[in-house]
Amino acid sequence: MRFILACLMSLSFLCASDYIETTAHSSDDFEAEFQSTNNENLFDPLSGYNEVMTNINDKFYEYLLKPTAQGYAYVMPQMARNGVSNFFDNLFFPIRLVNNLLQLKFHNSLQETERFVLNSTMGILGFRDVAGEELNIKTHDEDFGQTLGYYGMGSGFHVVLPFFGPSNVRDIVGISVDMWLNPITYLEARGDANLLDNTGQAIAATAFYTVNKTSLHVKEYDNFKKDAIELYPFLRNFYESRRDKLISE
Amino acid sequence: MKRILALLILTLLCAHPLLAIEESAIPTFMQSNIDTITNILRDKKIPQEERSKKIFTIFDSIFDYTLMSQLSLGGKQWTALSTSQQAEFSKLFEMKLKISYMEKLDLYTNEKMVIKNLEKIKDARIHLTTHLIKNNEVYEIIYKFYKDKNNNWMIYDVDILGVSIIQTYRTQFADVLAKESFSSLLEKLKQPDEPAPKKQ
Repeated sequence: MRFILACLMSLSFLCASDYIETTAHSSDDFEAEFQSTNNENLFDPLSGYNEVMTNINDKFYEYLLKPTAQGYAYVMPQMARNGVSNFFDNLFFPIRLVNNLLQLKFHNSLQETERFVLNSTMGILGFRDVAGEELNIKTHDEDFGQTLGYYGMGSGFHVVLPFFGPSNVRDIVGISVDMWLNPITYLEARGDANLLDNTGQAIAATAFYTVNKTSLHVKEYDNFKKDAIELYPFLRNFYESRRDKLISE
Repeated sequence: MKRILALLILTLLCAHPLLAIEESAIPTFMQSNIDTITNILRDKKIPQEERSKKIFTIFDSIFDYTLMSQLSLGGKQWTALSTSQQAEFSKLFEMKLKISYMEKLDLYTNEKMVIKNLEKIKDARIHLTTHLIKNNEVYEIIYKFYKDKNNNWMIYDVDILGVSIIQTYRTQFADVLAKESFSSLLEKLKQPDEPAPKKQ
């Protein structure tokens, strides 16, 4: 009898030590969970340049873009700005369609096409998002950077672009390919397919788009930026995690 | 003797289910938390200070701030610190998280928050996916739970739009510590408003 009792007791101790072991393990687990993107094994050859460019972009935002956007918001009612934003989003349809198709997302491609047709007609050139509001057809944002990621291409090292902000090698390739599909860029090689007449117009259109979009998100961005302790690693981590998430969707 | 044996077996059998809090209870538990918080937020009569106090009482019971501080700093750095340094860092980090959250609350209008999915990653990890719905757009927020020493499910990280809060701090802290000392990191945590100006 005593023997059985002893057995049972030791069994319960075994269970206990098992338990202690698992909790000890779990702190390693935690480390592993966050280790993968830790700085020590992060390849960031341009960190010096990136940090400087992050500061330049930040100054550009604080002293030029933000005041411009706020002034613009003062004279343009929110409804009009939402309309302009919808108009541009509708124009970028070719980028989304092609990249959805390239990723074999046929249902999404179909929905994008439906959105484009409905919003361009009933939504009056895309100023109103009829498809989204009335029929709940959501947009499926895809770009060529995501397409490359979808087919397994790694992000490469991080690069902060002037004006554009955080990016990486893969997404720079993506941006340059998407430029061909973007109606508000001007590319000589595209010939008659250009919507605009010259580079000047293209820059003006892009600037207008940017100011309009910024005016809708000033509060959010300022609030978001307040969380940063070091702006460059903060934005880099945000950008890379966000892109990974978008690619996985 | 037999009675002791029976008792022992009985306790052994019962010990497990008694210790563990049902994981299936997490969604209802979190939904009620979310509802309480939303109600507090919608009630514009409550003064700001009291509002955050009420919300943080709920938070304190489900967020493991100490573990969060430890993870944000990284195991190696954490164990190198003295107990008092660890405590000071935890305190500052908790403040940082709370202030950041409070600032987000200022943007709150009438968003809806719904629980989408509960996923068991492994034995001691659960991910709760929620959707924040604002102007027809959906933002995904994932609360990550782990089972602590007392078998309570506690939150150790939150993913917003695929960006882990802990990871965000972890990269920043590592960046600061690669160039500067631990005490200057503490200084930076103390000034939550502005990203500290760069020394050239």
